[in-house]
Amino acid sequence: YPLFQRGGPQLRIFRPNFFMLAVRPGVPQPEDTVQFRVSMEMTKLDIRNYLEKIYNVPVAAVRTRIQYGANNKRNHRNQRVKKPDYKVAYVQLGQGQTFQFPNLFPEKEQDAETRSFDDFRDKYMEKEKEKQEGDPRRGGVPDWFGL
Amino acid sequence: MASLRVRRLLGPGRRWLSETVPGAPSPPASPLYPPVVASITAKSKAAKSRRLQRFNQRVHAAATVEEKLRLYGKLQRPKYTVYPQTFALNADRWYRSFTRTVLVPGMPPRAATAKPPVAAAGATPEAGRAPEPGVKAPAAAEAPGTAEAPGAAKTPGPAAGATPQIDIGELRSLVCDALLQESFYQNKKRPFLYRDQDHTPGPFLTQLVSTLAASLSGRNPLLAASSLDLNPEVNYYWHHGTEVVVHGHRKGRVDPVRFQIDDNPHLQIRVPKQLPEVVPLESDLGDVPVIDHKPSKLPLFKKQYENKVFIGSKVADPCCYGHTQFHLLPDKLKRERFIRERLEDQIEVVYRSNGIASLFAWTAAQAMYQGFWSEADVTRPFVSQAVVTDGKYFAFFCYQLNTLALTAETIKNNTRKNICWGTDSKPLYDVVEDGNVKGFNDEVLLQLVHFLLNRPKEL
Repeated sequence: YPLFQRGGPQLRIFRPNFFMLAVRPGVPQPEDTVQFRVSMEMTKLDIRNYLEKIYNVPVAAVRTRIQYGANNKRNHRNQRVKKPDYKVAYVQLGQGQTFQFPNLFPEKEQDAETRSFDDFRDKYMEKEKEKQEGDPRRGGVPDWFGL
Repeated sequence: MASLRVRRLLGPGRRWLSETVPGAPSPPASPLYPPVVASITAKSKAAKSRRLQRFNQRVHAAATVEEKLRLYGKLQRPKYTVYPQTFALNADRWYRSFTRTVLVPGMPPRAATAKPPVAAAGATPEAGRAPEPGVKAPAAAEAPGTAEAPGAAKTPGPAAGATPQIDIGELRSLVCDALLQESFYQNKKRPFLYRDQDHTPGPFLTQLVSTLAASLSGRNPLLAASSLDLNPEVNYYWHHGTEVVVHGHRKGRVDPVRFQIDDNPHLQIRVPKQLPEVVPLESDLGDVPVIDHKPSKLPLFKKQYENKVFIGSKVADPCCYGHTQFHLLPDKLKRERFIRERLEDQIEVVYRSNGIASLFAWTAAQAMYQGFWSEADVTRPFVSQAVVTDGKYFAFFCYQLNTLALTAETIKNNTRKNICWGTDSKPLYDVVEDGNVKGFNDEVLLQLVHFLLNRPKEL
């Protein structure tokens, strides 16, 4: 950003090139806290103004941290492969609002046909496995062993 | 003969039934082998509980209070530092869950006899205000309170004649003098950046409290024997709940969650005798909020340093009980800042969190100075008061400590809760202009005077 000096103009950004991604928190967060992955160049003021001006979300507090991406994995040429760093923002909503990250993959209701097909498939797999293993009464001894 | 052959088959070494003497078994003088108990050094839960029991016995058997405090805070591990003056949102709810405190709005209904009558100009508003603007105070206690207060106000005055009436005008003039001296008459330079509170409200508060305490000490012998501390230090260390260690060589172990409060009130009055209890030890006035999340989500951060328990003076000091604390809010937590950021509801949260945390630390440290700790719970409640202010707005708090047992094992059967009574912040004056204090609020002054005059029944 251009340096601000006393008497200078207020910096206004009309079409920001930032993107914020709301993520599901890895550890349980309080009800009023939303977790975002934001661009590394965004500041807490940027995040607050972005949410308030563009999305009309009342923001009470913002805390940020930078997550270091590990550099331990190696590719086929034994070079280290780095996972990218990213900034995480924890935004506490104002006016008593709460947010719960939605369940993006709910279990769909199956109709009778799919359920019966699934049951048939499970039973068939079980029978195949039993055939592979052999008689349990022999205690793991192969069937070619004997008199 | 068959029996002879049976005996030979059994062999010569065998003892047969007829040889043993049926009768009372001889009791052994002392057990031949030591009792079979779990090991001390093994990596097992039984061994851990045995080590904890040995530690508890060591603390119980300590000869002096200093030794007990030394053993209590001997093991240093990373702990959460709890700051009473914090900008964290909704901090008072979290602090109430850490300290097992119930917040009751309004002041506790005090006995009418504890209030000395006020000068005629303020008599009627005083009697009407006798049960205090306590919203939640039970109606049954309020009605006898109001009926008693006029009666008590009239009878001791003419009958005893020993307690002269408080001249509210004189006290008001004292307060206005201190305020004008600090803000109008004294020629001060502009305050440095973010040092507004040290410039005017700080010295005003010191002056106010010292003059009021001096003028009321004739009426309250406890104040005459008290000790006024300037910028003292109050620390307390405690365990509450359990967590699993996440990183490091101790990963996977179940540890107690450790907290430490390090507080610096602006002023503090310590007295040699304890204030009387407000409600009985086992009373239940509300619910403690239960928060499932880790304290680090508040946000609260961990640090490892000395586990200190301190009330403002060492153990040998005769003034070992607390009377009143006075807290000054820093520039970071100004009202204007909250209003600018549209967080008006957090203004009161700041006062409440300061009152609850500071008073819990003070009363719990006082209890530890008397030898109580989480395994040896308090047998009598410890009561202290606090005034939290930012120079213009005053909020009053009264805290009763009923239990110190907050660790994971001791809290299981603990039904007691600590209680904090607190008011909202009210302005003492509206504005200071041209050598006049406009809009002086007598209620706030009266509440302050009642706080300072609070004393045990015997005195």
